[in-house]
Amino acid sequence: MTLTRLVLKNLTCRRGRFIFTLLGITIGIASVVSFLSLGGSLKSEIRRESAALGANLVVTPKGSCAYEQVSILTGEQLPTTITADEVARVQEIDGLTALPFLAERTAIRNRPVGVMGILPAETLRFKGWQVTRGDYFPDTEAAGAVLGAIVADQFDLAPGGEVTIRGERLPILGVLKETGGKDDLTIFVALTTAQRLYNQGDRVSYLAVRVADIDQVDAYAEKIKEAVSLGVVSDKQMLKSVLSIVGTVNITLQLIAAVAVLAAAFGIINTMLTATYERKREIGILLALGARRRTIFTLFLLESAIYGVLGGLAGAVTGLLFSTLAAPHITQNAFTAFVSGSGAVGPASVGVILGAVVFSAVIAMLAGVYPAWRAARLAPVEAISYE
Amino acid sequence: MNDMIRTDNLSRTYGSGAVATHALRGANLAIPKGSFTCIVGPSGHGKSTLLHLVGGLDRPTTGTVHIGGVELTSLDSSALARLRGSKIGFVFQFFNLLRTLTASENIATAMMLAGVPARQQAERARELLERVGLAEKAGARPGELSGGQQQRVAIARALANDPDLLLPDEPTGNLDSEAEAGIIALLHDLHRRGKTVVVVTHNHEIAQQAERIITVRDGRIAA
Ligand SMILES: Nc1ncnc2c1ncn2[C@@H]1O[C@H](COP(=O)(O)OP(=O)(O)O)[C@@H](O)[C@H]1O
Ligand SMILES: [Mg+2]
Repeated sequence: MTLTRLVLKNLTCRRGRFIFTLLGITIGIASVVSFLSLGGSLKSEIRRESAALGANLVVTPKGSCAYEQVSILTGEQLPTTITADEVARVQEIDGLTALPFLAERTAIRNRPVGVMGILPAETLRFKGWQVTRGDYFPDTEAAGAVLGAIVADQFDLAPGGEVTIRGERLPILGVLKETGGKDDLTIFVALTTAQRLYNQGDRVSYLAVRVADIDQVDAYAEKIKEAVSLGVVSDKQMLKSVLSIVGTVNITLQLIAAVAVLAAAFGIINTMLTATYERKREIGILLALGARRRTIFTLFLLESAIYGVLGGLAGAVTGLLFSTLAAPHITQNAFTAFVSGSGAVGPASVGVILGAVVFSAVIAMLAGVYPAWRAARLAPVEAISYE
Repeated sequence: MNDMIRTDNLSRTYGSGAVATHALRGANLAIPKGSFTCIVGPSGHGKSTLLHLVGGLDRPTTGTVHIGGVELTSLDSSALARLRGSKIGFVFQFFNLLRTLTASENIATAMMLAGVPARQQAERARELLERVGLAEKAGARPGELSGGQQQRVAIARALANDPDLLLPDEPTGNLDSEAEAGIIALLHDLHRRGKTVVVVTHNHEIAQQAERIITVRDGRIAA
């Protein structure tokens, strides 16, 4: 017999309560792990998209808020209010390249896919894309679509085939090399094609602007504002405001997780306190057999710790499974849409599991201190007279 | 110094003020090494209290207890626990065994608490079960044993660390007479092998077989 075996015997003999208490801490830890990994991948996705945008400044519809700036990074639809005239006036400014984009959505086999209207040649240069299969748009007006790598893969589409957008069948011209960003999830068509299909006239969603002299970004932003009555943000500002939204979302998620963990901790306190009452007699016998108070304390604390370790393991695994399996299917909102592309269960998971187990064990032991102290404080005679 | 137990003016009061219970009121007692003593007396008159104080499971309100020359009130709780584990074997009337453990594990637990390494426990537990005639019940849980068998396991467990003093408190209190006779025979056998036995009992037959009878009445030792 060892102390650990004695504790395990106690746990396995009260299976029902054991399982429910364990379930509590498993859920708590699972929510921490999944929310943290969701939040973490959100942030890194946003940074990557911001880099992939390749712009120093973004011209948005007047009065657009941070949420709409997120949409630019996720490829969600935006109010389309920028006119060709405004585009031309921005492009006239010396020392900058301004590219219009029209962001729309379509569905392939009932799954939403982004459609982006672009100026073919300019965007190719601007983004530094490479074409792996087929060809790129031969000219500005070319009817047809070029696909992001994941779209082609996911829906089994290849040059020579067709995609249907807004009831119109477009030949697939080519497939882009994987970029690692949301471009992989997008169907590109010529700007004119997109404007015609979506009845947008000559309007676009936003302009990506690259300036010749990076030190003059602010001056250029001012010039643009003088030329047109539109919103202008630098990529850094946009990143900052988007990250702050994500931060708020993260804090909310973390609060939910904290509540779940707290509930689990109280579950342990409750279970262990009940145990101290139920096992008065047992404590008395152990004391009569020569157990010291310290031993009784260790016995009860160990029991809590086992809840923590097992719950931490189960919770970490559940949380990781959830964040990698379930999250990509929740593509309805702009925040979770980010996660879809990133199936990252790498060596980081080992660290996450380890961290969760340690965290969970610490919480469980903290929760176990008071019940263990109560158990150890019991006077031997009181415990032995208990009936 | 031939006394196993000596108590001087031993008293124990539970609670205080109006609700105070004077369970023991100045008990003086000397029990020689290797003797077989019965403690008898009406219910609620302080027999268990006396046994608990003698075995270091409780501390007296006033007075002293000497066990094999050691004064118990001078020991801290840790030293007292060690003494209970090594020198004293308690056996109680009800629910003596840890119900989540097998007979063998119950005995091994007492050894673990005294620091016996895990690999020596099973072998010695088997020997002890053999001594109380339950070798084949090593793997049985308390729920699978009769009342008499449970008390035998409890006695085997009390012997786990080879204590000098056995303190059974009404060990046959809820057994039929056949099982009772078996337990009493076992206690006499242990006495012959050198243990000092102080047993609380209501059974006059048992009491008659004892070397010494001590009557506790109203928290005092009656003549
Ligand atoms: N833990 C306790 N708290 C308060 N009173 C107690 C406690 N244990 C025993 N008593 C009281 O002390 C008296 C003696 O009890 P006890 O020693 O158990 O008697 P016996 O064993 O002779 O039946 C009884 O009146 C009992 O109610
Ligand atoms: Mg009694």
